[in-house]
Amino acid sequence: MKFDLNRVIRGRVWKFGDSVDTDSINPFYKYSTMEELKKHTLESFRPEFPKEVKPGDIIVGGRNFGCGSHRPATVLREVGVAAIVVESASRLFLRNTIALPMPIFVTPGINAIVRDGETLEIDYQANRARNVATGAVVAIPKFPPTIERIYECGGLPQLARQRYLAETAR
Amino acid sequence: MGQTIAEKILSRHNLAQQPVRAGEFIGARIDGAMCHYQFMDIHRLAVDAGFKEGFPRVWDTERVFLLVDHHQPALSQAYADENILIRKEAQRLGIKYFHDAEPGIAHQMMPDYGYVRPGELVVGNDSHTIAYGALNAGSTGMTRADTLYVLLFGEVWFQVPQSVKIVLEGRQPNYPIAKDIILHLAGLYGDDFAQNMAIEFTGPLVPQLSIDSRMCLATHGVEVAAKFAVFPCDGETCEYLRMRTAKPYEPVAADADAVYEKEIVLDVDEMPFAVAKPHNFGNVRPVDEVAGIKIDQAQIGSCSNGRFEDIEIAARMLKGRKVAKGVRFVVSPSSQQVYLECMKAGLIQQLVESGAHVVTPGCGICQPKVGYVSAGEVCITATTRNFRGRKGSLDAQLYLGGPLTVTAAAVAGKIVNPKEVFDEI
Repeated sequence: MKFDLNRVIRGRVWKFGDSVDTDSINPFYKYSTMEELKKHTLESFRPEFPKEVKPGDIIVGGRNFGCGSHRPATVLREVGVAAIVVESASRLFLRNTIALPMPIFVTPGINAIVRDGETLEIDYQANRARNVATGAVVAIPKFPPTIERIYECGGLPQLARQRYLAETAR
Repeated sequence: MGQTIAEKILSRHNLAQQPVRAGEFIGARIDGAMCHYQFMDIHRLAVDAGFKEGFPRVWDTERVFLLVDHHQPALSQAYADENILIRKEAQRLGIKYFHDAEPGIAHQMMPDYGYVRPGELVVGNDSHTIAYGALNAGSTGMTRADTLYVLLFGEVWFQVPQSVKIVLEGRQPNYPIAKDIILHLAGLYGDDFAQNMAIEFTGPLVPQLSIDSRMCLATHGVEVAAKFAVFPCDGETCEYLRMRTAKPYEPVAADADAVYEKEIVLDVDEMPFAVAKPHNFGNVRPVDEVAGIKIDQAQIGSCSNGRFEDIEIAARMLKGRKVAKGVRFVVSPSSQQVYLECMKAGLIQQLVESGAHVVTPGCGICQPKVGYVSAGEVCITATTRNFRGRKGSLDAQLYLGGPLTVTAAAVAGKIVNPKEVFDEI
């Protein structure tokens, strides 16, 4: 699935605190299928989340979002989360969310400008996240070219495929 | 300006063959790739990306280490069926180092079998791959997608990390304290104090730390969000490696004028026994502040605490004592080699005589696969994590502690300062 960095994202915000762990996001030990995971993702922090999340919603998290294992966040994509905006992200969660691409923005200060349930607008090209109701704005840092390229290819497996084909065609 | 260990390792492995500095994005050459039991998830990513038959190759059949670890023998029909597929893929790809019929944890088996050496850059599809920093390697967990890229090309992108120097001072007591050290640091500085950074462990305590203790500390680097967690290569390291690998290696040390993001000094002589309360690694209190909480289950095992010294201290303390009535004390060695070593030393017999359960080496007691806990129950565990729900019910209370603290709780039936239960320490 391709994510276009040029597209503006607008959605309702679900707020989460610090150190949201991958056991909670992706409790695969207990639920082995995607359908089951979708019913339980993030319930250990907000039991209503899997029941009430709607396609296009945005997660706003605190620091160290996605701490714990190397498991990916694809279940969040599957329930329709349009973007994840966090104060800081665990290294592996960040790599995962770039590699199996879905919009993730490490945006210090995001917590202060938006409340749960409000609408957030993310404009990567303009490098800003904006609270639509209040107009409050915070800067979204730009990705380095290495990461922009992964997004442009539609993910790291696709980048690998392109490189392999180019090398073997020679 | 000098370089840190991380900068040196990544300079050596930089595809652009230039010295690197913290903050740079580089492509790095990989020395070894560990793949564990979720190999088929990587295979399926490759299929989805257009490699219809799966991987067309691995970049080097002698640098990929495929260990069908975590849960052996198979936990379910699904696991058994998946294992068949892994076996076929390993054979098709010609992977030389393949362990599929052996219980254990990859992060113990990799060092056990001598697959990691000082100065190397090693990655794997598991967050605790950071463990091999105990042997002076730059090692770290990667995602499945990153691992796919590594398996094809032997390369992957890195951001060169800032480094944090942790200076450990004091004296090693006659019991392991590695878990207390890392919990104590997480409690003081937060569960992400090393976010995306490399930890360098140094100071007068380090030469006194066993390889087992170093592995515990390095493994837990990821619980404080680190990319690497590296120890110096010393006599202890070389002796450990001498029995396991004949391949040459080049240790790495920081320059005297290397630049650190921060420096933390900890005197372990002043350090209390540390316990993480539910449900976060950084929610740490001295054991005396949580004493008295009744427990239902105690555990020692996993890639953080399933090693010889962890099991030895439990067995030593259980001599002449019994596990409290009604408490389940579950111990899981981290590999077959560790299990055998414990057995030869009489530790397993002691554990069983005192009423402990000893279960197959593997990851089962750390994830909810072996020894679920129920709503309202309390578990204190010397394993990796205490996230809510990690042992089954979302309404169980999970505490983390070192193996001595866990054993004391198992004997007393409640969380307690080990010195109150064991007058010999």
